[in-house]
Amino acid sequence: MAAPIATAALNASVFAPGDQMLLTVTYSDADTKPLTVTIVVTDAQGNSSAPVKVTAVIDPLTVTVTDNSGRTWTRVSDNGSVAVYRSVA
Amino acid sequence: MPRVTVQVRDAAGNTATAVADYSLGQPVLGGYYLSGGADPTADMAGGNFRSLTQYRSLADGYIFPGYNRPWLVSLGKAGVQMNMVLELKHYGAPGYGTQSFAVDGTSYTVPAPTMTIQQRPGATWPRAYGYGQVIKGQCDGLLARALSQYRTLGFGVNIQLASELDTDHEFGTTEDGKAYDWAESDARAVQAMNYILTWFKARTLPAGTTFSVGLGGFDRACFQRTHPESLMSRLDYLQWNAYGTNASHTALARFRRTKDWAVADLGPVALSRPVIIAEWGVRVAEIPNQAAWIATVPAAIAQLNAEGGPRIVRTNYFNSGWGTLTPKATGLAALREAYAKRPYV
Repeated sequence: MAAPIATAALNASVFAPGDQMLLTVTYSDADTKPLTVTIVVTDAQGNSSAPVKVTAVIDPLTVTVTDNSGRTWTRVSDNGSVAVYRSVA
Repeated sequence: MPRVTVQVRDAAGNTATAVADYSLGQPVLGGYYLSGGADPTADMAGGNFRSLTQYRSLADGYIFPGYNRPWLVSLGKAGVQMNMVLELKHYGAPGYGTQSFAVDGTSYTVPAPTMTIQQRPGATWPRAYGYGQVIKGQCDGLLARALSQYRTLGFGVNIQLASELDTDHEFGTTEDGKAYDWAESDARAVQAMNYILTWFKARTLPAGTTFSVGLGGFDRACFQRTHPESLMSRLDYLQWNAYGTNASHTALARFRRTKDWAVADLGPVALSRPVIIAEWGVRVAEIPNQAAWIATVPAAIAQLNAEGGPRIVRTNYFNSGWGTLTPKATGLAALREAYAKRPYV
């Protein structure tokens, strides 16, 4: 099982009170793979259903964000490799 | 320092951790300057004015707080942050001669200034103590006199060496009959600034003392030449001035011009320093509605600071010359309103 990797970057290093703060988290894991399973049901007479697809992620990652100053970070977006969080200075 | 910690965990419990540190800046200080170095107390009263620019010639026997300026001590003790511009430029009065005086029991004789600056064709070229004179130690008495007075103030100030080196050097300088072009003048000034910094930093300074060098910020090459990393490592602030003098000038564009050059041209030490806008203003001849222009300044400063790069931490309105508020009451009301908003609060 591979270990995940992560980076975190803020949109500035100094914020004025009230400024919007944006945190971009880039993350990945060699084991994490998207997988699509296609299912076709076939009866004894050879009749087949239309294929249906389900997707799954092998070894999905969970991202947690904490802030030692007590700020709450809200997830704005997450595409599975890049997540953006927002807070207020 | 606040820190965000990001933890990424997979199904098996393997984790990766990344951190990002940040700090919270104080509100930008809204500031002022009143024509002639006059008492600004009445104009500032009741408004969120927290910063002030003042100009003194090192030739003057009264630098801190200045001749007949007890109000500067009152404002400083009330927490107004002082940007004291100390100039080698001689203001012309009472004369250009040799000075002899004693400072704390030590006698000094300082020769007459031998340099000319601001050599605009057709204008009278002002005199200044020469960069060569400074480096030879001939002006040490001026520094000693200034420091002795500074120690009695009761608070620390930012000492801005020179008002605008680019304005001083734009048409070259002359010292002891020898002419120096703009770039040569910049290089000599950097040496002289270093000498003055070494002189001050070797002595006990009031707590909170900081240093910067002064530039109008209108010439990119000069700004780069006067901000080598070796000098910036001894300075606490970047500084430039910003004026709206054309109907097409927006506040954002005017404040950002020099910042963009700095970000493109200067090194990491310079860019780690916050910025004092020692003067900003809007010229009524081209922009009659000064109040409307002033009203756009808070958002411009907030945007520039949000973009990263050196943070603007003080902006002092120059109610004189190009920035003269006309009518004054309308302009002052606009300034008060601007300084009551983010990022000034």
